Amino acid sequence: MSDFGFHLAFWSLAAMTLGGASMIMISRNLIHAVIWLVMSMLGVAGLYLTLSADFIAVVQVLIYVGAISVLMLFAIMLTPRAERDNSQTKTAAPAALVVILVMISTLWVAVDTDWGAVREAALTDQARLIGESLIKHYILPFEIGAVLLTAALVGAIALARQDDEDAAVHAASLQAELEGGGTDDPVDVIDPPIVAEASDSEAAS
Amino acid sequence: MIIGLEHYLVLGALLFCIGFFIALSKKNAVGVLIGVELMLNAVNLTLVAFSRFGSAEVALSTQVFVVFIIAVAAAEVAVGLALALVVYRNRQTISVDRTTLLKG
Repeated sequence: MSDFGFHLAFWSLAAMTLGGASMIMISRNLIHAVIWLVMSMLGVAGLYLTLSADFIAVVQVLIYVGAISVLMLFAIMLTPRAERDNSQTKTAAPAALVVILVMISTLWVAVDTDWGAVREAALTDQARLIGESLIKHYILPFEIGAVLLTAALVGAIALARQDDEDAAVHAASLQAELEGGGTDDPVDVIDPPIVAEASDSEAAS
Repeated sequence: MIIGLEHYLVLGALLFCIGFFIALSKKNAVGVLIGVELMLNAVNLTLVAFSRFGSAEVALSTQVFVVFIIAVAAAEVAVGLALALVVYRNRQTISVDRTTLLKG
């Protein structure tokens, strides 16, 4: 691996990751924030590749860039336009203070600690090794993870599902609103049942 | 200058802090979830860096741990977004400032 190419890859991916994350902080529109999140996640996937973790990089692209961002976009689009603003709460200033303290301490630990000998060779044949250790050494956590994903799937459907009487009340109030001149964007309010399918397929992944 | 473990650790720490600030300061519940996702990504990046540069015994187990973190994050975000939708349906808002039912 040429040294210059590696440096270029690391610094541009680092800029992409941190830049995307900072744009989430700045952007006013929640949809734009999710797009910046996708960019940041792609940067992290590239950094995994520079660390020779190819399997994790592919999983990152599949799950974070593919599934989670789409799920977030669905959730945002199911709420009306007025709720898509991405501004900050009144507690942002004390939060910034806490975050700066955390940043100072973590950076100090990262730079100051002697992390020991640096190994040169990366793990090879990772997908096979990870798969084997998942069903040999880590079989119990693996099964618990499967149960957790199933429970999350069922829970997400149960939460997001609209009961029939709820839906009837909702439709009646919507009708009243429409007859009374309408408020904001009624099309957005009708949608909720769709989320059951969305969270279903996402949680399964 | 050789790019080593410290570079990735500093990058992970910065990403974690940005995610932490977003999670603490955003008004919208989905914005808070985005911050949590960034924090989890920073932790994953740190773990993979240790897998690459650490001793040979931890190289595999850290990557398996990252796989578990990603699975739990997927479950978390599915349930979190479903909760945000339920809150929106009942309160007509997902702003964390205005969901104050438990305040008394």
